[in-house]
Amino acid sequence: MPTTLIERRISWAGVLIAGGLVIQLLTLLWTHPLAFVAFLLLGCPLVVFGILLFLYALVSHEPSGSSPAGPG
Amino acid sequence: MSRVVIVEIAFVAAAALLAFLVAFRAELTRVRGGKVLAFVALFILPLLAVWGGFSEHMERAQSTRFCLSCHVMEDYGRSLYIDDPSYVPARHFQNNFVPRDRACYTCHTDYTMFGGVKSKMRGVRHIWVYYLGKVPKPEDIKLYHPYNNRECFHCHLGARRYEEASEHHKQPDMLAKAASGELSCMSSNCHDIVHDVGTLKDATFWKESR
Repeated sequence: MPTTLIERRISWAGVLIAGGLVIQLLTLLWTHPLAFVAFLLLGCPLVVFGILLFLYALVSHEPSGSSPAGPG
Repeated sequence: MSRVVIVEIAFVAAAALLAFLVAFRAELTRVRGGKVLAFVALFILPLLAVWGGFSEHMERAQSTRFCLSCHVMEDYGRSLYIDDPSYVPARHFQNNFVPRDRACYTCHTDYTMFGGVKSKMRGVRHIWVYYLGKVPKPEDIKLYHPYNNRECFHCHLGARRYEEASEHHKQPDMLAKAASGELSCMSSNCHDIVHDVGTLKDATFWKESR
């Protein structure tokens, strides 16, 4: 189970991305305007939010034991 | 279903499984291999999957089947099978002057730099109206703008059959006027019989009509 903040964020990012990809998978099985709309309005945003959350988790992570760099 | 679509579906399924794996085993990212896995599963593969899916959906949105999947367009699909060569769309469709699997898109996209994008935006608007707005009767559907000769010339300009047709020389400057847009192909009493879905009940259809 994820215990640290970064792991929880990565976990959520994975859930969002996987959800978006499952929706995309379903839309690929159906040639219909509604499938296109579902892909565009549900699948894509979920994946994009997931990727952004993953990147945010990486850049906002401060490794434990790190100290701010300073002169000397 | 084409082989490309099957590969795409398999790819998306694999990407989704990997994303699930990382989601429920986030502690894997504590080691270097897990970090690489997370980067691939949560960044590289989803981007590739979305790009592939977008491309596939754009491709599908150009198909005749896609356009005719809305009930209000059914009569327009039937009009492609009218057994009368004076109907411009029917003549083009039945003689393979346009690819049958993208007949609507071939004639109704704008052949300009952003014509494809504009067509897709119009398509999204049509979906909106179809599901959330007031759908007009098939015979009340009109083009947004008068049909531009440019779309005809995308195929016909420079073609021998077009340039040498006797009807196109009834007046000495007819071709020049058509090329400049002064004379419309569709609305100058020349090729003005198009879908005319209001007359379908009296029409006879070609053998492939369904």
